[in-house]
Amino acid sequence: MTGNAPTDEDLFAIAEQVWSSYLDLEGTSPLIQMPRTKPSSDVSASVSVTGAWRGHVVVSCTMPAARSAAAALLGIELDEATEDDVTDALGELANIIGGNVKSLMPEPSALSLPVVLVNGSPGWPSASEVCQLNGEWLGESVAVQVLESTNEKGA
Amino acid sequence: MTLPMKILIADDSRVMRQIVTRTLRQAGFDGHDLVEAADGQQAYDAVTNEKPDLVLSDWNMPEMTGIEVLRMLRANGVQVPFGFVTSEGTPEMRGQAEDAGALFLITKPFTAEAFRDALDPILG
Repeated sequence: MTGNAPTDEDLFAIAEQVWSSYLDLEGTSPLIQMPRTKPSSDVSASVSVTGAWRGHVVVSCTMPAARSAAAALLGIELDEATEDDVTDALGELANIIGGNVKSLMPEPSALSLPVVLVNGSPGWPSASEVCQLNGEWLGESVAVQVLESTNEKGA
Repeated sequence: MTLPMKILIADDSRVMRQIVTRTLRQAGFDGHDLVEAADGQQAYDAVTNEKPDLVLSDWNMPEMTGIEVLRMLRANGVQVPFGFVTSEGTPEMRGQAEDAGALFLITKPFTAEAFRDALDPILG
């Protein structure tokens, strides 16, 4: 990683902004930073960055957290949130957080459209972790990871 | 409240279109006629067909990116007020947006206040 690699704290600052803007408008259910642990793989949403910096930004959380996020973002009741709502909501969270992470990385680079996996175990075999945020929201686990591609450019 | 205007919200994310709609309301811009587009081509077509008074566009969209939509509109002589609502706001992108004729670039996550600051001169 060249330049100033983002830290766990940078990632938390970005996530906190997202939460206060969209998921915790009343300020009553903030995202709480927690000790590092293995992220839940109930729902994982990722965007990839390609260009001067190459890697992935992954948002993972439990299904209850994903449903709460979908309900908050779409302005619907929790029990109305469908799997499509969850997919769209987590994809957008990955897009927003990924866009903000990309802004901290060397330019020029491009951000992919999000990919969302429900009830799976995603893997990025040629990538190493740059930073990670473990958090708890409404008593559920939420994590954000920044992974840098480790294979040679053009390989 | 001034006369209702037609606002085109272009974003491939249904969730973000919903958030933009809600934020417009929270910012006090109720009562306007909202039209949606789910990709860049749809956005371009909607400007042509719906003739909105303002376009709020994502940057990163399938078919055509937001900046491509704006450049094509201007190349065809369409001068509709156009602003970006995007998750990335690098100086390079801000420069590109300004050069292409965008009025503003709001970065996600945004607040109702950011919407008010950017849109008051147009909708206020």
